[in-house]
Amino acid sequence: MILKVVIRNLLKHPFLNLVKVIGLSLALTGIVFIALFLKNELSYDSYHSKSDRIYRYTITDPDFLGGKHFARTINPGYIPELKEAIPELENFTRLMPVRGGLIKYEERFYNINEAFECDSTFFQVFDARLLIGDKQKVLGNPASMVVTESFAKRVFGETNPVGKVLTLPAGQFYGEQQDFTVQGMMKDFPSNSHFYPDFITTPGADQFANSWAWTYLLLAENANPENVKSGISVYLKNNRETNPEEMDTQVHLQKLNDIHLKSHKLREIEPAGSLTNIYVLTIAALILLLISISNYANLNMGMTGFSAKYMFVNKLLGSSKYSIASYFFIEGLFIVVTTSILSLMIAFPINSLIAKMYGLNLLNGNTFSVAVIVLLFNLSALILGMTPVVSFVSSLFRNRTKRNVSPKMAKGRVSSALIIFQYGFSIALIVSVIVISKQTRYALNSSIGVNEDNIVCFESVHSSIQQKFKVLKAELLKYNSIESVSAMMEPPGGEANDMFPFEMEGYKTDEQNQEYDRIGVFPCDYSFASIFNLQFLSGENFSKKNTDADGSGEYIINEAAMHRLGYSEPDKITGKEFRLIFSAPGSGIEIPGGKIIGVVKDFHLQSLKSAVEPLVFFKRENLWLLNFVISYKPEMQAQALNDMKTVWNSLFPEYPFQYEHVGAMYKKVYKAELLQARLLSVFTTIALFISSMGLFGMALISTQRRVKEIGVRKVNGARVSEIVTMLNRDYLMWVGVAFIIASPVAWYAMNRWLENFAYKTGLNWWIFLATGLLALGIALLTVSIQSWKAATRNPVEALRYE
Amino acid sequence: MIQLKKIDKYYDAKFQRTFILKGVNLEVKQGEFVTIMGPSGAGKSTLLNIIGLLDEPSAGEYYFWDEPAHKIKEKQKVQYHRSHIGFIFQAFHLIDELNVYENIETPLVYRSVKGKERKAMVADLLDRFNMVAKKDLFPSQLSGGQQQLVAIARAIIGSPKLLLADEPTGNLHSEQGEMIMKLLKKLNEEGMTIIQVTHNEDFAQYGTRVVKLIDGLIREDYQVENRK
Repeated sequence: MILKVVIRNLLKHPFLNLVKVIGLSLALTGIVFIALFLKNELSYDSYHSKSDRIYRYTITDPDFLGGKHFARTINPGYIPELKEAIPELENFTRLMPVRGGLIKYEERFYNINEAFECDSTFFQVFDARLLIGDKQKVLGNPASMVVTESFAKRVFGETNPVGKVLTLPAGQFYGEQQDFTVQGMMKDFPSNSHFYPDFITTPGADQFANSWAWTYLLLAENANPENVKSGISVYLKNNRETNPEEMDTQVHLQKLNDIHLKSHKLREIEPAGSLTNIYVLTIAALILLLISISNYANLNMGMTGFSAKYMFVNKLLGSSKYSIASYFFIEGLFIVVTTSILSLMIAFPINSLIAKMYGLNLLNGNTFSVAVIVLLFNLSALILGMTPVVSFVSSLFRNRTKRNVSPKMAKGRVSSALIIFQYGFSIALIVSVIVISKQTRYALNSSIGVNEDNIVCFESVHSSIQQKFKVLKAELLKYNSIESVSAMMEPPGGEANDMFPFEMEGYKTDEQNQEYDRIGVFPCDYSFASIFNLQFLSGENFSKKNTDADGSGEYIINEAAMHRLGYSEPDKITGKEFRLIFSAPGSGIEIPGGKIIGVVKDFHLQSLKSAVEPLVFFKRENLWLLNFVISYKPEMQAQALNDMKTVWNSLFPEYPFQYEHVGAMYKKVYKAELLQARLLSVFTTIALFISSMGLFGMALISTQRRVKEIGVRKVNGARVSEIVTMLNRDYLMWVGVAFIIASPVAWYAMNRWLENFAYKTGLNWWIFLATGLLALGIALLTVSIQSWKAATRNPVEALRYE
Repeated sequence: MIQLKKIDKYYDAKFQRTFILKGVNLEVKQGEFVTIMGPSGAGKSTLLNIIGLLDEPSAGEYYFWDEPAHKIKEKQKVQYHRSHIGFIFQAFHLIDELNVYENIETPLVYRSVKGKERKAMVADLLDRFNMVAKKDLFPSQLSGGQQQLVAIARAIIGSPKLLLADEPTGNLHSEQGEMIMKLLKKLNEEGMTIIQVTHNEDFAQYGTRVVKLIDGLIREDYQVENRK
């Protein structure tokens, strides 16, 4: 019986009930995804059973590469000795990247996304489920490889991988070709792991001595990391340092679980997650929760008026407080169940969209978490949504006449606070979206090669391809569609970390620090400056060849380098004699001495988060030119890509043809920011939508309450416009108050956010003005619909005596 | 002043037309105090609302001072409400959120009377109605009779030519009712044209003329002989 009436009454106000359900569903869906994403981010690497005891070991030294903090440790050959020296150190494992990006099996090359040469102790430190093989033995021999399930499937198909031999081709980072034998197969690493190697393998010969490796230490139970740190310091002082008295080396230990969110070192395995994103999303989820539920409660409150008569008659006929309360409870239940169903219907397509775009299947394996979130949300909606109704029911039983039971709202103070709060958040969110989008766009547009987006990059090509750069370039330039071909040490968006000592005419090296007076270097092809349209402040571009005799070497520097070298006018430094010193005995590499021939304006190779470093550009042939960049005529894109493929396949038939647009590469650099902007705009839309619906409901309720007053005023000569103005005035004032409260908060928050960047766009006043006007406009539109309806009603209806 | 010619008011339901008023002809001259009487549902209030331009007749002609009022637009109606017609109701219809002073002031605000002038006019009326001490009270703090006094003050502050009263004493006990009727009579004697709807035979005697309405038709129309 109650259910029948409930459904009938819900259908009587389809729009308002739809608003309730849609508002709640949008918020619930948003909250579910935020919660799952946060769960994923915050649980990074905690699936390792010993994760609380695993630390990553790094060192910094102010005298070494400018004191930069690398995630990897250099020359980690001594790590096993540490284990002997420090009792609290239980175990260790080193991960060395398998470079070159390609591996050969039965005459075919396969791409490696990520792979490590590691110690045989890998499985003693980290958890991984072995499908084939025994954890104790599988990495026991040199050159033993364990592949992941998906990699095995890609390379070997369904056949058993054990015993298969994979060949790492010869390249510049490994003198010789090397064979590895597959000994086992493991499950793929989960999405909340900070590494996802295709395979791990023990090195063929001991290569840990002269290399860089990510080094993980497993501490004994109840060990104090500070003791381990000082133990390592002592060891380094006694065994590694040439000059123990002046050791500047700092030892750092970072908890494994902190790596994903808190580590922002150089050469990470994968870019760190963003803690800002975590905060932003948590706040967004809270806002959604608050706004949606308060809104629901608000609408509930307003709509009790509709059923007041039904309730009153029921009461006269002898129904109890509880049966009336149960009416509202069933109504609420009906709403939240509909909400949950609708949310699930929205959730599945959104999940597949996220999975497609970010490779993150959030719903997968999280059924229980989703159920808990949905249940908690529904429960809080039900309880908080009922609160105002309960006061209505009790007032129904206190008062004698129906006239007095229509909802009274303490002069609407609670509701106005609600609107101020909802709009305040919405305004802050809009400001954030604008600022983040603006900054990201600025960052992208300031990056090199992005504006026309007609440059593609072949990133970290294999060394045997590097050797043939000259041929590739000559072949490509024969095609009409290709504009320019160049090569460079670091890819667009990469970090140029290498530094060499140098000599310059008139430059006095710091006597104290002679050995460490270095400058950032960037080897490239001679057409580097022209392909990226670098702007010359003085001097000229490289001559069109990549080899120069000693004495006529050519160097181009950036503005930052000019300042670093003690000059402030570009014209004064061009022409000065200059030489980079490279000393690797036996390498046979020499960099010809010569002159600084040009100064270019600072440009952003790296993310705008870091300041532009002083860089010296110099030409090399077949060496250190890891990344090829090719620009094509913008109007001939399809043709150009086709031509590139033709040339590539004829020159390097066995290597995969893989390129990426520079624009896309920079988008990866700002992935976190782009994601923030996108998520925030979604949540802002939802928040604004819900708030406006709330405002709409409020206006509905309030005009209902004031129907008589409006009638009286009209009879006394008020125009429709005067009534509308009167009704709108309060709401606009509230939005105004919300704006005044939200603006400084948003300004502060965005200032903090912008601090992440070394180069930033300003927080212009127009952002706030536009946001305020937008919020005001939306509010005005929403409220005016109601006000207009109320103001144009015939006052006779309102003033009829009941 | 008011001329109604063959006024019909009806509602169309699915298959039948329900008449509230049928062929009403009525002329009211300036200075009259007309009482419309009749049983519940006879169409008294509807007739009053049509005269007050709050409702529109379904058919027929209505002349307000020789102007065809059945033809005027919504915007002009506002002008009539501002300067020519005052209303009082059975339920008083004061604005709960405003105090006595502000309630009375409302019509003047809509007529853009200046603040100083408003103050003088309201003070004058308050004085006349002996309500100066109550000017800061809210409607809920007043008795029914006092509320109706405020409502009358509000209705006449713009000195309208026509005062329409829809059962002005219906919510009052007899003593207060008489007080209100005496006031209306006094206003009429000062020259205001009044049309009231009432059930009360006694109170009809305060007016100059009685119109009896039954089922939407005028059945009787006579002058009051022994006016109270």
